[in-house]
Amino acid sequence: MMSLASYLIISLALFVIGLAVMLSRKSIVAILLGIELVLNAAALNFVAYSRYVTNNLDGHIFSLFIIVIAAAEAAVGLAIVIRFFQIKETIHIDEATQLRN
Amino acid sequence: MEYTVGSIAPIFLAPVIAFVINAFFGRRLPRQGDWLAAFSIFVSFIFSARIFSDFIFGKFATDSYVHKTFTWFDLSYGTQIFKVDMGIYIDNMAAIMLLMVSGVAFLIHVFSTWYMEHDEKHGRFFIFLPLFTSAMLGLVLSDNLFSLFIFWEIMGFCSYSLIGIYNKKEKAGDASIKAFMTTRVGDVFLLLGIVALWMTIGSVSYVDIYAAIAEGKFAGQTVLGISLATFAGVCIFLGGMGKSAQFPLHVWLPDAMMGPTPGSALIHAATMVAAGVYLSLRMYPLMVLGDITWFIAVIGAITAFGAATIALVQTDIKAVLAFSTISQLGYMMIGVGVGSYNAAFMHLITHAVFKACLFLSAGSVIHSVHEQEMPKLGGLRKHLPYTFFAMMCCTLAIAGIPFFSGFVSKDRILGDALYFGFMSGQHPLMAIVPILGFAGAGLTAFYMFRMMFLTFFGENRSQQSHNDHHHGHGHKAGSHGHGHDAHEIHDEHLDFRSNVPLLILTLFTLGFWYAGTLTGQSFGNVFGKKKEWFKILVEAPKVEKFVNKPRQQFSGVDSRDKTELLPAEYHHQTGYAGPNPNEHKIHSAHTIGAILSIIIAFAGVFLAFLMYIKRVVKPWSDTFQGITTVLKNKYYIDNLYVDIIIKKGLLGFNRALAWFDMGVYDRFAVDGWAHVNRVIFKASKWFDNVVVDAIGVDGTGVAVNLFNLVLRIFQSGEIQFYFVMLITVLASYIWTLKI
Amino acid sequence: MFMQLLFGLSALLTLSGAIAVLVTKNIMHACIFLLASLIGIAGLYATLGADFVAVTQIMVYVGGIVILMIFAVMLTGGKDFVSRAQNLLGLAPSMGNKWTYTVGLLVSLVFLLTNVKLISSIVKSHPAKTFGNEFPSTVNQLGHLLIKDHVLAFELSSVLLLGALVGAAMIARPRKQ
Repeated sequence: MMSLASYLIISLALFVIGLAVMLSRKSIVAILLGIELVLNAAALNFVAYSRYVTNNLDGHIFSLFIIVIAAAEAAVGLAIVIRFFQIKETIHIDEATQLRN
Repeated sequence: MEYTVGSIAPIFLAPVIAFVINAFFGRRLPRQGDWLAAFSIFVSFIFSARIFSDFIFGKFATDSYVHKTFTWFDLSYGTQIFKVDMGIYIDNMAAIMLLMVSGVAFLIHVFSTWYMEHDEKHGRFFIFLPLFTSAMLGLVLSDNLFSLFIFWEIMGFCSYSLIGIYNKKEKAGDASIKAFMTTRVGDVFLLLGIVALWMTIGSVSYVDIYAAIAEGKFAGQTVLGISLATFAGVCIFLGGMGKSAQFPLHVWLPDAMMGPTPGSALIHAATMVAAGVYLSLRMYPLMVLGDITWFIAVIGAITAFGAATIALVQTDIKAVLAFSTISQLGYMMIGVGVGSYNAAFMHLITHAVFKACLFLSAGSVIHSVHEQEMPKLGGLRKHLPYTFFAMMCCTLAIAGIPFFSGFVSKDRILGDALYFGFMSGQHPLMAIVPILGFAGAGLTAFYMFRMMFLTFFGENRSQQSHNDHHHGHGHKAGSHGHGHDAHEIHDEHLDFRSNVPLLILTLFTLGFWYAGTLTGQSFGNVFGKKKEWFKILVEAPKVEKFVNKPRQQFSGVDSRDKTELLPAEYHHQTGYAGPNPNEHKIHSAHTIGAILSIIIAFAGVFLAFLMYIKRVVKPWSDTFQGITTVLKNKYYIDNLYVDIIIKKGLLGFNRALAWFDMGVYDRFAVDGWAHVNRVIFKASKWFDNVVVDAIGVDGTGVAVNLFNLVLRIFQSGEIQFYFVMLITVLASYIWTLKI
Repeated sequence: MFMQLLFGLSALLTLSGAIAVLVTKNIMHACIFLLASLIGIAGLYATLGADFVAVTQIMVYVGGIVILMIFAVMLTGGKDFVSRAQNLLGLAPSMGNKWTYTVGLLVSLVFLLTNVKLISSIVKSHPAKTFGNEFPSTVNQLGHLLIKDHVLAFELSSVLLLGALVGAAMIARPRKQ
């Protein structure tokens, strides 16, 4: 029951759902949630490969680093959200269109 | 001597160098370079004398010649030969001519240094005079018709420049153009003849032409239906007619007197006008072959007589001399025409000497008195003794008085003409040649002595006129001042520049130099066994002797036939091309001719004496008013040319051509392009505005804007849209590249 | 048996949490559902024998990041973005516009298909391998690896974290108005 394929399917589904969250929700924090989902899907993928394909622990290492990066990124991203809120008084994504045209 | 470039070239090159130096640096040289010109001619004279002594005093044969060539250009291709050789051809005739030309030119240069001293055109005169001399010397040296033509044209140009040298006088300009144009008519025919010869023979070298005549290459060749020899002969003679002022192309020579007198002396008396005769002499075998010698003789006779009649009524000294030149040239042509080759050439030489002397003397008279019109002259015998002596001797020569050179040559011509006209079996109308010849001789004696008597005898009439005639030159340094009412006549001193040339020339008008004897017959031998040297050495070329003669390059060895002519030959030579079976008849013709010419000459002198010294007979211009008017207008030939032919005929033609050129051709071919251009302009304007500007320039902007509108969609600034794009592109990569 | 049960429960938790994040309107609820999803992933790690990674996941992600997100939501108002749509699709349980919802789903579908293509090829090349129940401890090995083979990444990540800390603090600091 637990084969590489199943883990890959789970990580795929997780990735796609995370993508859907990123694309469809309008609050910046919600988008960050989607990003977390995506990152986790990738990490799961790495660990699954490390268990079923190669016999070393490189996948684990990579997952650990993914977690580290995700933490750092989430911290900075949320700092940006707070700053954004301080300026625009809202965190609706459609307010962030200063690069328009 | 060896005939190399070093011994021949200085003859021709020394005056050219003088010309070049004078042309560029003349103004800066002291006396504007006249001494340089004279010295260069002296160099030529020395080399010419060297050649002359080699031919005449060295071992010789009568038909020896030096012929050296070099290839001017060779554009032959395969079997088509297109090669032109240039070179020198010196035989006895050329050697004598070289000596005469360079000697006379040198004396004239020396005289001109005195004559033109204070003239405003002093420098310019000495630029063209050496160039002219070098052209004449080159013409004498040249061995083919091409180089002859080149030098011919150079002389024509120098003549034009010298006639029109006083360029402020409108008449001088007109006269120079008239001279150039008239000789041009002749030159066109000359070139035509040269080309006709070249196309059929393949070469225009004299030697080749003689060889071709001997080999019969001319037989059967026709040009435009006329036999080649006749056509070429006539054309070449027409060139000679133009240059030697035969009727009807004689009209330029009287007007050429607008130039300075020494220039006229050299060009229109001694050398250039003799070039036509020289050419006819060189081409004599061709003329004989073409059977046009009778034509030459008739033209010569008409010219000789006609010019003599016009000279009877002229009042300007230089005009009298000009017409006498035309007349004597007519005699030379009579000589060529009747077959008297040797005498024609002798007359050329003797005429050059005494005519140059006459012109220089006239120049001396004009310089002293500042007056050209003979009614205003007179009694100059006391004032200008040396000039009087020189002019007297030369007038005796030209009139055909025995013991003088003119008698020797003219008598021989007239003797041959008498034989030709009456006894040689020609058409009876050919009798006109000797008749006109003798009549002309009588008239010559008459008008020349008329000139002498009016100028040097009687009372001086110049004091009677109050007119100031400025001839452009000032006084000789010293003695006499300039009066207000009349000119003082400068007495003549013996000056090496103004008198010695005259006297040297006078020396050579004595007959014995040429005939070898004092009387022209066997009496009074002067040169010993070489008497009649002139008659022996110069004879018509025997064309058979030119066949297959090898041609030498300039560096080759001299291969002349160095055998001395035996004295016995002298007695039997008659001056003709070969021994003549009619020798008895010729001899009797000569005897009759000699007696007749002496009688006629003395009659002419006597008549002039009666008319102008004794005043017994009234001057005939008073009695024959009608004829006098005709003669004064030179038989209205000038009017014929200018009024009728040019103004009525050619100008109308010119107008028609101009109408065609401007009305038709210019309108359509030239102006029509303006319309075409307008259309092209409109099309290009449309193209520029619409295609280039609207579509290209503005269009790119509009396109960019439009594209921008499209691209703007992708720059919405919405982050989620960017995500969408990213995913889409990534998916498309994976789907298309099948990763 | 236990393993498969754990796997099934964890998978269910993960996916349902994820879907819930997608669908729910309230953002606080979204954070909590994310938290649940992450716990589920930790369980999946555990079934894979990655004990250290699983625990690290819970400690860092669950205990740190989600809490951070909740803080951010609190600090930025935490307003509900109600859809202002009038028709049926606008009433769909989502925080966003109907159009973005549609586009997002479409794109995700595209991506799904893409990946299926990829995965199918991979799955075919690696036949199913069933393992026994031996799960050695990975901590020791991971420690060795971090210090020996991946020491550079290790050190760099520490620098990165420092930078992130300082940066975040700088960006979000209160400014005098």
